[in-house]
Amino acid sequence: MFELIIFFFFAVVTIVFALMVILHRNPVVGALSLVASFFALAVMYILLEAPFMAALQVIVYAGAIMVLFLFVIMLLNLQHQAEPPTRPVQQFLGFFLSIAFCLTLLFYIVKAGTIAALPSTPFVSDARAIGYALFEKYIFPFEMVSILLLAAIVGAIVLSQRGVSLDRRPD
Amino acid sequence: MAFDLTDIILTFVKIGIILGVMLNVTPIMVIIERRASALIQDRMGPNRVGPGGLMQPFADALKFVLKEDIIPAKAHKALYTLAPMFGLIPALTTIAVVPWGRPFVIPEMTIFGRRLFEGGRLFEPIVADVNIGLLLIFALASLSVYGITTAGWASNSKYSLFGGIRASAQMISYELALTLSAVGVLMAAGSLRLVDVVARQSGHFLLFNTIQIPAWNFLPMFLGFVIFTVSAFAETNRLPFDFPEAEAELVAGYHTEYSSMKFAMFFMSEYMAMMTMSALIVTLFFGGWDIPWYNEPPTFFGFLLSAFAFLAKVGFMMFVFVWVRWTIPRLKYDELMRIGWKVFLPLAVVNVVVVALLITMGWV
Repeated sequence: MFELIIFFFFAVVTIVFALMVILHRNPVVGALSLVASFFALAVMYILLEAPFMAALQVIVYAGAIMVLFLFVIMLLNLQHQAEPPTRPVQQFLGFFLSIAFCLTLLFYIVKAGTIAALPSTPFVSDARAIGYALFEKYIFPFEMVSILLLAAIVGAIVLSQRGVSLDRRPD
Repeated sequence: MAFDLTDIILTFVKIGIILGVMLNVTPIMVIIERRASALIQDRMGPNRVGPGGLMQPFADALKFVLKEDIIPAKAHKALYTLAPMFGLIPALTTIAVVPWGRPFVIPEMTIFGRRLFEGGRLFEPIVADVNIGLLLIFALASLSVYGITTAGWASNSKYSLFGGIRASAQMISYELALTLSAVGVLMAAGSLRLVDVVARQSGHFLLFNTIQIPAWNFLPMFLGFVIFTVSAFAETNRLPFDFPEAEAELVAGYHTEYSSMKFAMFFMSEYMAMMTMSALIVTLFFGGWDIPWYNEPPTFFGFLLSAFAFLAKVGFMMFVFVWVRWTIPRLKYDELMRIGWKVFLPLAVVNVVVVALLITMGWV
């Protein structure tokens, strides 16, 4: 009962703030709404007895990535200026695809009927279990992701160095 | 986990104690900060209100309440009002997972004809003993930047905006070093729970098989301790890293436009964050509530002794914060970034490797 109240409260918070992100005209309010949405989503992980994932959700998304987003928005000083005219084809495609996605999701939720309950045995999802899983069973995808991230970092440096001759750099 | 009414009441008592301490930290630290800075700079300091100037914080608080609460005309009103609260919430909540005394058994007693604590009940002086302890602290601490950044942006002033942007860049940079330098401690304890971290440090190291020295983490992990402490200064925006404020360059940085209680809330969250960081440094590196060369009895008396030991250590760390502020001048902004990324981050990785070596050799 108590858990149900918490679930519905934070579910509503998540959705309302997620809607704020796309509907609000001010980019800073949008970014802060996304932080609130992520934070409410972390509560869902706690309800699923995965506190470790909840902490990671807040640290990585709310604490690190969104600070960077906010930093860029403030640095560029984006104002809610008049939006450029959107292309009707893209608008239609976006609308159509998201409706299709929603319907597919709904279809499978209805088809599944009942939702599987959590296992009644103590559900282990602490840092130790996740660490063992990452570094033993899933070591290959883990290393692949790290190479992907490294490639992104190298790419960003190459892009920022384009057009800057190395001998004329200040300092 | 099954819990009854007694547990709920005990939790509320713990929250009450913690909140009482946290809210009183600001006035106490204000008078200490002002008198200590006067001592260091060879001045008198505030000494008019009350005996020896002890009532000065009350005068300051009264002034904050009575000042006019100004919202600039071009500010974003909602965010301008919310920003101080964003700052205060993480500052108030992070302390919940830090243990502040030795657990003791409350004996069964009869009050007003009702039997309480049947068969004795263990009182653990920690609000939330969760198994992700330290991660929760880092998660909430990483949210504290939003108060400053939002305040800087919502004020619609160039000085505030600079302060806010600096805060977000600085806090992302130093969070990495802060988190990595704590990894060594967690490796030695084998757990994220701060109760386990403290329990691991309650023993002794034997020097030359004769001299007992307390098994506090700052001895084997001195590098980690230094990196953590310096990063803690950067995370709490204290001098020499107070770039979001930087009164010589940015007037008053992110809270230039703030007045009255909203300004006081930024002030409070700064001192509360300082308290949390001090408590964290003490817990991770100085044995938490452990009293060296003494085995606290598992009674109420032992709990009181250990709680006072913890408070004394935290108090000393907070004095170090004040001491450093009035001793070391502010760095340059590029120096701050360079030290964070090119010195502390690699050193924190070195610390992890060194601690791993120590654990493998069985020395820690």
